[in-house]
Amino acid sequence: MSSSTCLRRFAKSSLERAVQPSIASRSLISPQASCFSTSAPRHALPTLAKASKGPPPKKGSTLILKKKKAPAKAAGRPPAPGDRKAMRKRIVLSNNNALEVAGLQDLKETDALSGISEGQVKGLPEDVVDALRAMEAFKTNQGWKLFRRPATLIRKETTELAGLLKQAEEEKKTVRRVFIGDRMSGKSTLLLQSLSMGFLRNWVVINLPEAYDIVNAHTEYKPLPGSHPTQYTQDVYTANFLSQIVKANKSILENTQITTNPSLPLPLPAKASLKQLAELGIANVETSWPVFVALWKELTQPGLPPVMLALDGLAHAMRNSEYLSAQVKPIHAHDLTIIRHFVDHLSGKATLPNGGAILAATTSSNNPRVPAFEFSMQVAEAKRYHPDNIPQWNPYKNVDQRVIECLKDVEVLKLNGLSKEEARSIMEYYAASGMLRAKVDDKFVTEKWSLAGMGNIGELERAAVRLRI
Amino acid sequence: MPPRLNILSASRSIPYRRRPQSQWVFQPGLRAAPVQCRAYSDSNLPNDRSKKSSAQPLEHITEESAKTAEIIGNEGPDIDQGTPVQEVVKGDKQAQEKLPKVMQESLKTKLSGSTPKGSRSYSTSTTPTSGTRLDLGLVDMTPFPATPAVSGLKFEMPKLPLPKDGHVKHRYDDVVDQVTNLLMRHGRKSAAQRNMSLILQHLRTSPIPTVDPTRPLIPGAPPPSHLPLNPVLYLTLAIDSVAPLVRIRRMKGAAGGGAALEIPVPLGQRQRRRTAVQWILAQVSKRKSRGSGKGGLAQRMAEELVSVVEGRSAVWDRRNALHRVGVAARANIVMPKRR
Repeated sequence: MSSSTCLRRFAKSSLERAVQPSIASRSLISPQASCFSTSAPRHALPTLAKASKGPPPKKGSTLILKKKKAPAKAAGRPPAPGDRKAMRKRIVLSNNNALEVAGLQDLKETDALSGISEGQVKGLPEDVVDALRAMEAFKTNQGWKLFRRPATLIRKETTELAGLLKQAEEEKKTVRRVFIGDRMSGKSTLLLQSLSMGFLRNWVVINLPEAYDIVNAHTEYKPLPGSHPTQYTQDVYTANFLSQIVKANKSILENTQITTNPSLPLPLPAKASLKQLAELGIANVETSWPVFVALWKELTQPGLPPVMLALDGLAHAMRNSEYLSAQVKPIHAHDLTIIRHFVDHLSGKATLPNGGAILAATTSSNNPRVPAFEFSMQVAEAKRYHPDNIPQWNPYKNVDQRVIECLKDVEVLKLNGLSKEEARSIMEYYAASGMLRAKVDDKFVTEKWSLAGMGNIGELERAAVRLRI
Repeated sequence: MPPRLNILSASRSIPYRRRPQSQWVFQPGLRAAPVQCRAYSDSNLPNDRSKKSSAQPLEHITEESAKTAEIIGNEGPDIDQGTPVQEVVKGDKQAQEKLPKVMQESLKTKLSGSTPKGSRSYSTSTTPTSGTRLDLGLVDMTPFPATPAVSGLKFEMPKLPLPKDGHVKHRYDDVVDQVTNLLMRHGRKSAAQRNMSLILQHLRTSPIPTVDPTRPLIPGAPPPSHLPLNPVLYLTLAIDSVAPLVRIRRMKGAAGGGAALEIPVPLGQRQRRRTAVQWILAQVSKRKSRGSGKGGLAQRMAEELVSVVEGRSAVWDRRNALHRVGVAARANIVMPKRR
């Protein structure tokens, strides 16, 4: 507003006021406002834009285009927050339409670690399925939802691993293995099989379902006091992890009492069971890491069953995480306490006095490029399968020494394609479930086996069951 | 940049040696050039150099020495038998050093006069390169018999009838193929195939449908309890059941007063299916997506297909409306006159 107008208004309003008989009576009628105030026009409602701009165009003078239709909106309310993800991540383990397979036997405690069921399809018992589900060992992209109930093929590699686990159980040794293999060659399924073997043999089974979920900075973190160099705990994740451990190993934890005297920030009842200890960490999220440490110490006391610790997606645990330190530097995954705990056991720095297994699976679907890790795996594979040709790191390139040190003497188990007999066995199971409508004969098996890249089990399932052209 | 060509230096650097006997002789310009092209019927070959002695390959050492011996007048080696290498290198120390180890050893043993040892220091059999033989899983790859049983054929007769997936372009089910192509957007066939596979998986895991008797499926349909176990049949049945029999062709201004004359035109099977799938896809786009990620369209499509079989889908109304128009307009069909 220009100053001249203001002055004029000022003069005018002062004149008006002089004319008005009483200020009090006027103030009743209209609100009193300073003559300099601009708040009234400011707070006034915005004037609406004129709806119509003149008369419609004359007929014939203007091109009249059709009005564009708005896309049809879906009726009803959209799904609540979190529902979509829940639907995407839902694990379905049975298909009521699939036929019951006659003669499908369950994996039993007695024959879980003996190699007698090699080449057969075995069902998973219900309690094992519950424990595996609690451990998030089933993946969404695996084909469980197509069959009546979960069953797996005991393949050659499974038998090999079962032999190792048996040895570990008898001689109280620590088995350390990394599962490698092509995409869809059954690495995660082998991990699941070994977890179920552990459950059947009453081991303490602990599974980190996905390393990616630990390092992708989706959960909160904080530095661990007194650690040098600084390590970071993830309290919410650890609490959830503890609850998974409790759900899966309920009976063992309930029946075992605390023998050491852990120094925890919260009081614990005398003669508490391990389950009570773990629940302390679940209830008080900020104490979850010390509780986990205390629980692990308890589990490694003499006289307890062997421990199985497993992790899927190992490559993610071998690089910088998405977390940032206070100096805005990326935090290496090995500085996250959970990963550090796993990696120490995998590298053989820490051992399991009661025997047990430290298992990890690599992934090919969500696979980050980690040169040091890839090289370590190549070396380990070469050491195992062709020791005369061990690759050398290019000395002119930088390497993540922590990864190399960690995986220096780790052994690998490579998953190859199925043999034709194994392929036939699983395809007969498909056909008996009603999911494969074909006569399973030699020619058919060989055809699908070849199409599946010489027996890659994932491709075999795709070609035979999933109707993926 | 390539170096510049120097004509003078180039001419210097090209060696050209004149042979004494090939003196330059004047040749008249009108002289008939040697016949370059020869008719096929012409049998003599003027430029055939293959018969010249210089074009012949070198003789074998045996033949050469035989000829030499003939010239000298001695009795040369027998041409019918080849000369062993041992004889060639006989007395030539340098050549003997270059012989294979086996031969050197045999020479030594001959010199020493001992009998050959019982065990060889080398293997006479091939060793497999790896523990397992590489099996590519090729079935029935035995070579064809040299002469087929039926005379006049190069290969054996194929076994009839040909298998359903015998032709590479028609190896998949018709309906699955067509629906996959109709699902395809922007040429992303693999995405369409994945969606098709997910649709069939949804159908396979969905509960047994209850068929509405007022919306009957095509005659000859199997009982609904058979459908989830055969998802391709489920899909085919849903599509074929709502597929319209006709389309309405509108002839402009033929009905009088500027109105279009509606003429029903019968559709072929593929056309009928295409129309049905497009109707279904239109309904699918109106459905609300409940999930996230890649499987959304497939899930909605599968749900729509189930609702088609159960008679709940709005596609049935669309089909019935079209058929009603078709029945009303059937008088407009002009059949060709029979002569």
